[in-house]
Amino acid sequence: MTIDAVGLTKQYRDVLAVDDLTLHTTPGEIYALLGLNGAGKTTTIRMLLGLIRPTRGQVTLFGEPVGPGRNTVWARIGYLVETPSAYPELTVSENLQVLARLRGLREEKAVSDVIARLGLQPHAHRRAQTLSLGNKQRLALAKALLHQPDLLLLDEPANGLDPAGVAEIRTLLHELAHQDGVTILLSSHILTEVARLATRIGVLDRGRLVWEGATADLVAQARPRLRVTVHDPGHATAALRAAGHTVSTEDGGLTLTEDHAIHHPDEIATRLVTAGCPPTRLAVEQDDLETCFLRLVSHA
Amino acid sequence: MSTATAAMWTELLKARRSRLPWVTAAAFTIAAGFGGLIMFILQDVRRARALGLLGTKAALTGGTADWPAYFALLAQITAVGGAVLFGVIVIWTFGREFSQGTAKDLLALPTPRTTIVAAKFAVTTGWSLALAIQTYLLGLVIGAALGLPGWSAAVAATGLGKLLLTAALTIAVVTPFAFAASAGRGYLAGIGALFLAVFLAQVIALLGYGPYFPWSVPALVTDIAGPGRQPPGPLGYGLVAIVGIAGTLGTALWWKHADQDR
Repeated sequence: MTIDAVGLTKQYRDVLAVDDLTLHTTPGEIYALLGLNGAGKTTTIRMLLGLIRPTRGQVTLFGEPVGPGRNTVWARIGYLVETPSAYPELTVSENLQVLARLRGLREEKAVSDVIARLGLQPHAHRRAQTLSLGNKQRLALAKALLHQPDLLLLDEPANGLDPAGVAEIRTLLHELAHQDGVTILLSSHILTEVARLATRIGVLDRGRLVWEGATADLVAQARPRLRVTVHDPGHATAALRAAGHTVSTEDGGLTLTEDHAIHHPDEIATRLVTAGCPPTRLAVEQDDLETCFLRLVSHA
Repeated sequence: MSTATAAMWTELLKARRSRLPWVTAAAFTIAAGFGGLIMFILQDVRRARALGLLGTKAALTGGTADWPAYFALLAQITAVGGAVLFGVIVIWTFGREFSQGTAKDLLALPTPRTTIVAAKFAVTTGWSLALAIQTYLLGLVIGAALGLPGWSAAVAATGLGKLLLTAALTIAVVTPFAFAASAGRGYLAGIGALFLAVFLAQVIALLGYGPYFPWSVPALVTDIAGPGRQPPGPLGYGLVAIVGIAGTLGTALWWKHADQDR
């Protein structure tokens, strides 16, 4: 097991930032922590890294406890926590040299390799203060990847990147996980990215892990429903309810979630025509990932 | 390369690439020049009187225009200017990591956090001592240009010794500002602590308790309070050492153990 966190809890005075979180990852897995702002994603990553001590619970990475003085564990981890940061007066290359030295690497090769991998060659000799947000994010990712870690902890890795950059990073992370066997735990609120990238998802809400499973399982939770648009929703609702259907109204239309209605929309149309309020639109729709996520969070 | 050497290299690179070394060097150059100006005024009493207030102030601080007086003045400049500028160096070196958000990149590495803190203190100490030596060397050039009387190798050695002692004491008493900048996670807390210490050093020295207040001791070593005032004794030096050790260890322990949640 790469990450083994049991009962992690972090309490800041009267704020419970993370509440009894248990989380495990296996080598080569891409695990995404999904949550709204303030859900506890960054605090979780900081606890996994040993930057903050849990109030309760414990973390081991590669079977070893993590925290101050556990420098051999840190040698195997690459990380990006919150906003990308760099020494503004140093160049991209120098910023990486600083970390390469502190990681005991053969500086020139490690730096040039990671610069090439992240597409930072045109900016290698530019001062970090002149970089765009997207390139600052690339530099932060380069720092995380510099030493070819076995575990990557990435807090919102796609922040600030343009769509092409997001796709590049997605491909890179896929390669790292599937070709090099790197375990990746990332946090995000960009649901579509998570769905494309992660093999497993944990949904955090107010510090609690409210759902965990394969990405496919989350998508499978998406519920189909029949959406009906009519000129007179009140009359149509009454007619359908009289026929024994469960109907809810939202956004001026009618919604039916029962299986029979979803599989036989023609019957619903017939009933409405018979009742004198023919539908102007009738469609079976399915929740997207975002709706699933918001439903999980709101139920929590 | 050992982790200590690597940490030193990185701290030196960061310092070298910033503007602060130039700013501090310029400040001490101006200060040494100011000391030379005072000697220049004191060399000619009529000229000093013609300059009014500046002449009066020069008479108060230096008295005579010779090498021993000039070396004493340079030590006083190092004590007073160093309290602020050495403090700024320490606050910048530690506080920048939090103000610029780079601290988190240093906290989960194979290089121990305490090694990084030690490297930072080594660089700030070397930097501060270099400024003190620069002040001395500039003083030699300016004093020679002014043709100050009273030169001897013994006077020059005593002047250097006192200046380095003053610098060392000042370096020791600014270490708690590193703790303030770290625990306050930025420049502001360090600057606040610096102002408080400088203010209290003035007030407590005026009240006559300066020899027992560590932040007043470096200036009192230079006889800044004038002849006949009680110089710092072993207790004063001991308190400075305790502050230096507490500041260094406190900073190292804070970096090693404190929750890094920002």
